Amino acid sequence: MEFGFSEEQLMFRESVYKYAKNEIVPFCEEADLKAEFNAEVWKKLGDMGLLGLPFPEDYGGSGADVVTCCLAGEALGHAGVDSGHMLALGAHTYLCTDTLFKHGNENQRKRYVPKLASGEWIGCMGLTEPGAGSDAASIQTTAIKKGDRWILNGSKTFITNAPVSDVCVVYATVDKSLKQSGITAFIVEKGFKGYSTGKPFHKMGVRASATSEVILEDCEIPEENLLGEVGHGFMYTHETLSWDRSALLAPYVGGMMFMIDQCARYATDRVQFGKPIKAFQAIQHKLADIKVTMEASRLAVYRVAYDKDAGLPLNHMHTSIAKAFVGDWGMQAASDAVQIFGGYGYIHEYPVERLLRDAKLGQIGGGTSEIQRFIISRVMSL
Amino acid sequence: MNYSLNDVQKSIKDNLSTFCNKELAPRAPLLDTASHEEVQVLIKENIKKLATIGYLGMPHEDKYGGTNLDLLSQAIAGEEVARTCASTFLSAGASNGLFGMPLKMFGTDEQKDKYLPGIIKGELIGSFGLTEPEAGTDAAAIKTTAVKKGNEWIINGSKTFITNAPITDVCLVMAYNDKAAGPGSGVTAFVVERDTPGFVVGKPFDKLGFRGSPTAEIFLEDCKVPQSAVLGQVGAGFIQAMQTLEYGRIGMATVSLGIAVACMDAANAYSKERKAFGKPINRYQEISFKLADMMIMTDIARMLIQKAAWAKDVKDPESAIFASCAKLFASESATKIASMAIQVFGGYGYIKEFPVERLYRDAKLGEIGEGTSEIQRVLIAKSILNKIH
Repeated sequence: MEFGFSEEQLMFRESVYKYAKNEIVPFCEEADLKAEFNAEVWKKLGDMGLLGLPFPEDYGGSGADVVTCCLAGEALGHAGVDSGHMLALGAHTYLCTDTLFKHGNENQRKRYVPKLASGEWIGCMGLTEPGAGSDAASIQTTAIKKGDRWILNGSKTFITNAPVSDVCVVYATVDKSLKQSGITAFIVEKGFKGYSTGKPFHKMGVRASATSEVILEDCEIPEENLLGEVGHGFMYTHETLSWDRSALLAPYVGGMMFMIDQCARYATDRVQFGKPIKAFQAIQHKLADIKVTMEASRLAVYRVAYDKDAGLPLNHMHTSIAKAFVGDWGMQAASDAVQIFGGYGYIHEYPVERLLRDAKLGQIGGGTSEIQRFIISRVMSL
Repeated sequence: MNYSLNDVQKSIKDNLSTFCNKELAPRAPLLDTASHEEVQVLIKENIKKLATIGYLGMPHEDKYGGTNLDLLSQAIAGEEVARTCASTFLSAGASNGLFGMPLKMFGTDEQKDKYLPGIIKGELIGSFGLTEPEAGTDAAAIKTTAVKKGNEWIINGSKTFITNAPITDVCLVMAYNDKAAGPGSGVTAFVVERDTPGFVVGKPFDKLGFRGSPTAEIFLEDCKVPQSAVLGQVGAGFIQAMQTLEYGRIGMATVSLGIAVACMDAANAYSKERKAFGKPINRYQEISFKLADMMIMTDIARMLIQKAAWAKDVKDPESAIFASCAKLFASESATKIASMAIQVFGGYGYIKEFPVERLYRDAKLGEIGEGTSEIQRVLIAKSILNKIH
């Protein structure tokens, strides 16, 4: 067993951390306050290569392994980048571009991946529907072949990046009666006839991430935009779990590191009853708890990253434990962080306020804590 | 980055699991309910059994009969012992660990030659005498004194909560040789043999849990020991004790994990058999989600322990804090898990015929022994705050 990082990995993490602190963080408070996706932030993420890390160099990426991708996300979170932009990055790179890269044919890869890897185009992934969240196999969006086109009808909701995206990997069923086995993936471009996005939702947290419905009304997809094979789409969404439970969770681990830094500083400077509040055990107690949650979360997340880098089969225990723990214990950590700040923790200028609103999504998005427990207990019941 | 066990570690886990399931698990309920006298016989038998599989020698050098395995391998083995009989884990650990490790790290060659082979064979039982009636968390406040007279030391004081005291052959006793010098350089550790005049063991305590691990007070009444009983150097005792306790922290985390895993396994098995409203109760989310929580917490605790053990093995500067994180999380989780396990068993969880009530009583010690949860949090917080200026 080896839990350390290489010199190279640590140097990379440090460079992302510094870059984020200097170039990106100054924009984050306002972006979150105004609930505005910031194109400047996106460009800076792209300039640093962070939007295409795992893809081969000749597709505009850096050929990075999963652990390295996680370190980048962790560094962004640790620097204090807001979860909205980090989620935008995650959905774009790991849920959209990676699926496209993995299952696309050479023409599709050439057309889409370089522009997505650089950030010139923004990608999103459309699976969830108003009537199908946890029960993803029950999606109702249909895809019917008509000559040389596929016609898609239906709607998606809670789609991260949809309002600002150029490309969307959309999941639709060719035959509802087949459930999972009818689900098929399509590459949809912004300009396609019949494709539109709704008004961005006003969300509790991850506010700088643009989220909306995606509406498909007799949406015409050229047949060369079928992604992978008919009926294999559901499997593709499962494959993204290894990214979803590692690189998309790593920013939350970084966020906890950020909380620790912020809380330790505040507890040192804030004086009450003649002492810095760090002298009171009630404050030390919460700080220690955040630290334990962070260390544990870090272990769980990098285990998923290791599994994928080592070529091990997807381990549902590992992925579900990571998601449930980071989500649920992370929520408690964010609450403790606000508590340490007292009244100031309730005000937007102090970033722990935003982190608490962001933390709630960890228990819901990308697979609820309930579903994680359902998966875990199902494995245990065998 | 590598989360996989190597082949040696995998076979250690398998071998210990098979051995402990066979040799320790069936006796655990008896150990919990036996009289003090019977317990003393049974626990020594268990410790000898662990010697036969080389468990006691794992941390020790081969020249004393050990196998010099890394801490990570020891934690892997320890989890199996703890899962099948927490009391055996504790008593074995107090002997080969709390007594054995200071000998290994700080003892003279004579002391190592004299005691380690017997400890490793399970023929000698060791114990660690630091805690006193008025000095637990505040270990520096111990009152036991050691006064030099000629070539001997005279020790006076009392110790309490000493694991193995009723069966101990040899005990490491911490005493102030120079109170004014403070704990940093004024405490000495002495290797005291049981039959030394003035070394008196109290009655075994009647405890909530870990009832198979005998615990008592030790009274030092003008107890005379030779200069050769000094562990390493005069004045080094407190530091020696603190360094030993860092291993103890990982050990306690491991016993908590073992207890929690035993709870989870028992509750999971029960939930498949027990029916309510025509279905096995694991079909109801109130039950299945508790089981999932047990899995989450035990799995996380195990990773924290593995990281702490690895950190100590590679001499990571943060290793002490990783040990505290592991101990804190594993022990508090074990208490929660034991409570949930009783709940899964319903009424049957409340009676002694089923194992979870014993595990529930055992679990609580994890939050107290080897450094309370309170002190772990203080240490963890301090490690963060000390970096802020």
